[in-house]
Amino acid sequence: MQGANFDVVVVGGGISGIQAALDLADQDHKVLLVERAASIGGKMISLSKTFPTLDCSSCITTPKMSAAFHHRNIQVWTSTEVERVESRDGVRKVHLRKHPTYVDNSLCIGCRLCEYACPVEYPDPFEEGLGAQRAIAVPFTNALPQKAVLNPRYCIACGACIKACPTDAVRFDQEEERLTVEAGAVVLTTGFVLNALELKREYNAARSANIISPLQLERLLAPHGPYGRVLRPSDGKVPGNVAFVLCAGSRDQSIGVPYCSRFCCMYSIKQAMLLSGALPTAELTIYYMDIRAFGKGHEQFYQNAKAMGIQFVKAKVASIEPVTGDDLSLRVELEEEGGRVAERRHDLVVLAQGAIPVFEPSKALNTPAAEDGFLRQPDPVRITWTGVEGVFAAGCALGPKDIVDSIVEAGAAAMEASRFLALRAAGGSPGKEPDQLTNPIET
Amino acid sequence: MAHVVNTDLVDDLKTLGARQIEACFNCGNCTAVCPLSKDDVAFPRRIIRYVQTGMKDRLCGSIEPWLCYYCGQCSETCPRNAKPGELMMAARRYLIGAYDWTGIGRRLYLDSRVELGAVLGLAAIVVVLFVLFAGPMTTELTAEGGVKLNTFAPARVIELLDWGMGGLLAVLLLSNVWRMHRWIMRREPGLKVPLGAYIRGLATLFTHFFTQKQWLGCKGAGERITATKWFKHFCIFAGYVTMFVLIVVFLRWFQTDAVHPIWHPQRWVGYIATGALLYGVGSALVARWQKRHESHKHSHPSDWIFLVLLLLTTVSGILVHLFRINGLAYATYVTYVIHMAVLVPMLVVEVPFSKWAHLAYRPIALYLQRVQQQARETQARTANLQPQPVQS
Repeated sequence: MQGANFDVVVVGGGISGIQAALDLADQDHKVLLVERAASIGGKMISLSKTFPTLDCSSCITTPKMSAAFHHRNIQVWTSTEVERVESRDGVRKVHLRKHPTYVDNSLCIGCRLCEYACPVEYPDPFEEGLGAQRAIAVPFTNALPQKAVLNPRYCIACGACIKACPTDAVRFDQEEERLTVEAGAVVLTTGFVLNALELKREYNAARSANIISPLQLERLLAPHGPYGRVLRPSDGKVPGNVAFVLCAGSRDQSIGVPYCSRFCCMYSIKQAMLLSGALPTAELTIYYMDIRAFGKGHEQFYQNAKAMGIQFVKAKVASIEPVTGDDLSLRVELEEEGGRVAERRHDLVVLAQGAIPVFEPSKALNTPAAEDGFLRQPDPVRITWTGVEGVFAAGCALGPKDIVDSIVEAGAAAMEASRFLALRAAGGSPGKEPDQLTNPIET
Repeated sequence: MAHVVNTDLVDDLKTLGARQIEACFNCGNCTAVCPLSKDDVAFPRRIIRYVQTGMKDRLCGSIEPWLCYYCGQCSETCPRNAKPGELMMAARRYLIGAYDWTGIGRRLYLDSRVELGAVLGLAAIVVVLFVLFAGPMTTELTAEGGVKLNTFAPARVIELLDWGMGGLLAVLLLSNVWRMHRWIMRREPGLKVPLGAYIRGLATLFTHFFTQKQWLGCKGAGERITATKWFKHFCIFAGYVTMFVLIVVFLRWFQTDAVHPIWHPQRWVGYIATGALLYGVGSALVARWQKRHESHKHSHPSDWIFLVLLLLTTVSGILVHLFRINGLAYATYVTYVIHMAVLVPMLVVEVPFSKWAHLAYRPIALYLQRVQQQARETQARTANLQPQPVQS
């Protein structure tokens, strides 16, 4: 497929990438959707519910994934990583690295017989390490493509999958491929990752299994989650007193993330609400510095949570110490109780980690990153433009934002890319592209 | 109670070292992370709030700055890099200036050039006094081969001057302590403090003055670092107090022409005390120079002036002794004048007006805290004894 040509390459198959690809493909552009993981769907497919409507997250994502995956104008390449994007002489070249999955996707029919035959189990990445996964498996129930992937880190090369496979699709000798595709425009929807749970030393996350990440709690809350109910990891006890620690990995200069991750307040409120449904007798406390409920319906959502009896304590948690019975002791200043210092005991603690960028603009796009490490937005009006000709971006690649904002931005980026292609086709010089606007803006 | 907002308070504290304090958004991390912060005395956030809102009266009536020993944990974990630890340090500087009714302390702290000028001016006065009034510089030696220092500067005269100066400084310092006491007690107007509480609290005063044991609870940076820092500080304290007592109270016994044998207490007590001082002051200067630990990263000019004066006093004192017992007459006289020209400004500037004053304020603060606690307990007990009002 060397030298393949597309109208647009969308980098990242999360909800932003899927939306951008769909919007472009519906306008008859040939789109390549590239995803680093073995399935598209991004973070959203693993969430239980969305805020502030409490809609089922996978019920929204799965049809979108399916629509993109089966679209006649969209090609989806999974397990493929973008190494570098070049924009030179009016052409975008995208250098890709296709990781081996050790399965021939043209033969695999997703029957899962290999998965059932595989004798090795390891912590399931889709379940955030809470459940178990076989060394060769379809990544998760509603993964797209429904193709098995072998994890070489855990595979013991026993050959059970080769024997079990009805179509002889398993390929132990598959190797990494490097390819370059040309495109008229590129849309970067590379999303974010959460910074390490152990980043803030005072929280001692390495010393307790009961300090969990919000994505782990999403899986615990999901109806098809690892345990089918909410249990705490250390001993399987039903938690009775859960703490949410906001700003545990952001708005904190001491750990190098001074900016706000924007969605933690709301998902923590949502998770607390879902927990109060799952564990009606549990005490739920949210420790916050400020509740930033800025979106449509968010403030009402926050007020509802308060009315439901979820406790909101204004305090930055200073330290977390493991105590007897696998419980945790949080040290806070209770500012609203005269500023006294208190040790508060909980049996499960969720740390709202910070969102940090995955894409490195200086390495992969030859353009400097913004101060926070995300992609730059040099034009205040055309916010999805990265400053590189023909390269646009949307969603968390530009900075942390919630699903609604990501989808809106993905549409905007798709529109920009489509407009860019149309101008180019009409003979306009793409190099001076912003000048052709009626509102020229200095960048 | 109405509060007068002092709009200069933030700027004053910024000048005194708390340069980033306006970045604070009051999350409370510092207070919760502080190992010394307790239920009834929670800091530093409260003090930051006073400063940010210009509540000078509240700040002046706070004992909290004296309860902080600067482990630096709050500054290291502050989400806004507002350096709360440095604010507590700046608050102590501010309070030393504020307690001082003459206003000199405030001037010295707010402008370090004034402090340096005062030190140099006093040194010059000492030198001039020696030039005018010193005795003959005899090269004649004693039977043991020592210099006849008491001919040049008779201990009896120096002692009288010492006492005069000591008395003046004590009056200044004690009047400042009285102001500090009044302001702190005024923070709780309803609290009646019985005389017994003051007397019973005296044990606290002396323990903390002599041991600084409160410091050992400040384990934010780890117990070993805390213990080492406490030990170095204790060396400075013990060496200083010993030498101070010898020089100011027992000068006649300390400054002799006779060269005593090495096992004579005049010599070994002096050696141990100066050794401890040299070690303590030297390591404090090195630590501030290296800036490895959070509490050493931000030195105010007053910290340097204090330590350098202390080092010069110690070194010149040692030299006077060495020159004297080895019969180097002129060297002895010159170093003696230098020694006095460093010692006098150090005492006059530092004791009532600058960093040295914390020697008094820290134990007094802990003492007053204890007194208040006892008064509160007494009040609660008597309140319980009162017959409950009959419900109608």
